[in-house]
Amino acid sequence: MTNNLKVLRAIAAVSQEELAKKIDVSRQTINAMEKGKYVPSTVLALKLARFFEKPVQEIFTLEDTD
Amino acid sequence: MKTQFLFPNKFKNLGWILFIPGLLLFITSSIFPIDLDKYLKIKVFAIYEDTIGQKPGFFKIIEDSFSYELLTIFIIIGGILICFSKLKNEDELITKIRYESLVWATYFNYILILFFTVFVYGMPFLTVIVYNVYTVLIFFMIRFHYMLYKLNKSSSYDE
Repeated sequence: MTNNLKVLRAIAAVSQEELAKKIDVSRQTINAMEKGKYVPSTVLALKLARFFEKPVQEIFTLEDTD
Repeated sequence: MKTQFLFPNKFKNLGWILFIPGLLLFITSSIFPIDLDKYLKIKVFAIYEDTIGQKPGFFKIIEDSFSYELLTIFIIIGGILICFSKLKNEDELITKIRYESLVWATYFNYILILFFTVFVYGMPFLTVIVYNVYTVLIFFMIRFHYMLYKLNKSSSYDE
C-alpha cells in the first residue's frame, strides 16, 4: 500500500509532530507511514482522512502486491 | 489508544527497581559460591513438599529459605512490569513492534531450548532450565527496546 501523506502534509503545512498530536499517535508512526514502513489501522486511516478532509482512497492506494 | 493487558506507564520504573537488583543478585549467586539458601529461613506454606531426607506430603507448614523464591518473584514481576507497561507514547505502531518482538523472543527462546536439549546432557541441562524461567522475558525486553531504539534512530533526522 502506498500513500501520499508527505505531499498532503506539505500542502497543509503541518509538521510530523503537529500531525501526530492531532491524531493522537507518536511522530515515529507518522514517519513510518510516510516511508511506507507501516500500514495504519482503519481507525488511524480514517483519522487522517478526517484531518486532511479527503476520502481514504485519495490518501492510500493499494498496490498489486496487496 | 485502547490497549488490553498492559499496565499503566508508571509501573515501568517500579519494574526496573524490582528487576535490576533481583537479576544482579541472581547472577552474583550463580557465579560466586554464595549459598542463598542459608539466609531468610522462614515458615512457609507448602501445597506439596518433597525434600531429600523428609517425608513428602501435601499442605504442610515447613521451614525453608525464602531467598531464591524472593529473587524469582522480584525478577518475574519486575520483568513483566518492564515488558508490559505502556510506553509514554504507546500507539498502534508500538503495539505492532511489541507483538513482533514477543513472537521473535518466543522463537529465539525455544530455538535455544531445542539446541540445549540436543547438545547438553546431565546436570548442566538443569541449569539451562533454571535460566529459562527468565529468558523469554529478558529476550523480549532486549528485542523490544532494540527495535524501539532503531525506530527512533530511523526517524530522528527527518523534519
